[in-house]
Amino acid sequence: MPYSAEISRNQPSCFVFLIDRSGSMEDAFGAGDSARTKADGVADAINRLLQNLVIKCAKEDAIRDYYHVSVIGYGDKTGPAFVGSLAGRDMVPISEIGASPARIEERRKKVDDGAGGLVEQSVRFPIWFEPVASGGTPMCQAMGTAAGVLERWLSQYPDCFPPIVINITDGEATDGDPTSAADKLRSLSSSDGNVLLFNLHLSSHRGPSIDFPDNDAGLPDKYARLLFGMSSPLPSHIRSAAQQEGYAVSDGARGFVFNGGMESLIKFLDIGTRPSNLR
Amino acid sequence: MHVYADPFWLPKQGNTEEEYEDACCPRKVTERASCSFRCAVADGATETSFSGLWAGLLVQAFGSGRLTSKRRQETLRSLQGRWLSQVSAHPLPWFAEEKARCGAFSSLLGLELGEASICGGGRWWRACAVGDSCLVQMRGDAILSSFPIRDSRAFNNRPLLLSSNPGRNKEATTMWTSRGGTWESEDAFYLMTDALACWFLTEAEKGQQPWRRLRDPQTGDGTFAELIAELRRNGRMRNDDVTLLRVTVD
Repeated sequence: MPYSAEISRNQPSCFVFLIDRSGSMEDAFGAGDSARTKADGVADAINRLLQNLVIKCAKEDAIRDYYHVSVIGYGDKTGPAFVGSLAGRDMVPISEIGASPARIEERRKKVDDGAGGLVEQSVRFPIWFEPVASGGTPMCQAMGTAAGVLERWLSQYPDCFPPIVINITDGEATDGDPTSAADKLRSLSSSDGNVLLFNLHLSSHRGPSIDFPDNDAGLPDKYARLLFGMSSPLPSHIRSAAQQEGYAVSDGARGFVFNGGMESLIKFLDIGTRPSNLR
Repeated sequence: MHVYADPFWLPKQGNTEEEYEDACCPRKVTERASCSFRCAVADGATETSFSGLWAGLLVQAFGSGRLTSKRRQETLRSLQGRWLSQVSAHPLPWFAEEKARCGAFSSLLGLELGEASICGGGRWWRACAVGDSCLVQMRGDAILSSFPIRDSRAFNNRPLLLSSNPGRNKEATTMWTSRGGTWESEDAFYLMTDALACWFLTEAEKGQQPWRRLRDPQTGDGTFAELIAELRRNGRMRNDDVTLLRVTVD
């Protein structure tokens, strides 16, 4: 059965994040505060995803290397996009990522007070990636770069849980239709299944977020529909984990989110017993 | 009443013994003549930190009689305080602090056996459970009870577990289940964490007799490890920490 390989330190899986850094990312981000740009939204999304992944793999005072991670930016240039001591690296074990944020900001967050209310708490927000908005949107080139990184990874870990590529973009590729580059990326595989391509579409279009839809009927524009069409269906065990976490995902749900976040995806990945009362 | 309790445990394949996060009480082979006996197993959740510590605190508290239904809330508060003070005794890196803030989680399965004929009454047992560790009572080749899970399909990777974070626990009536019964001389009780219990119930549902492999007198530490390695190798058992507490009574 595909997508059932155990994720362990001996047999890690990997994530590749493709980050749109084009000039259009300077536009306002639709779903939130108008002072925030899509580039800010992307930076927050990737930093939050990395933080969630590090915390998922944290055990006592160390981090277990269940995942290796690549962050590839595309805009003026296409290539590794970490800042700080990880700059220039195209695949980094999650323990090194946890140990090497460029800096850690303090942010305020409302959390459950355990008595039915909310309390504001200071939380640490590590930064590995800065907002950048410059140049075109060479999405096809970015997918080609990701394919190269993943071919090398898969030759090293041929039986791993298949890599997950998360493309975070406002959707407007400037180097052609990315459909065939996406097809090529999804055609790569380990013995446990094909590479999964998920898309997070951050748009200037105002409206509620749309998480893991099973059709493109409610999507607001052609870019959203194109990205939906390029997105892999969620494998059945990820769907059932999502359902157990309380998300309404149907059988045909795809790895596509419009104007939302993808941190929830991290919860759906199976590295062992996850209590149902852990949120 | 004469009780013989024999614990067996093994970490997840690929992990070290220090990374084992189940717990059991007693931790060593125990032979005792007494009118009551308490034992427990617990399974710390992989996805939470310091869960082995939390599982250990829970089984010790049950073993010492401090988790009876009347004292449960008071004892849990005290254990949560001990967990927090041990975890925060040293500065932690940012990710460890964030993770510890969520709390540790663990199942707990406790069994109390009694013989009131010495102290006045019959031969009884009571068990309580949170989560998916499982007790099976055997008489010869018959399964008399399977608690709290009877059907192997009920196991999944998202059980409701006891947390060291008070805000994560639900109402006691939602979380805790209990069961009681009677025992006869030479009955055996198997307390198992989920991977082993799932294999056991699956085999029993197929008409096999998995208890024979667990009650074999040859099931010393070496052969228990061989059994688990074989079950993992042929895909009949999920790779997880494994704990068995085999209790026989007469």
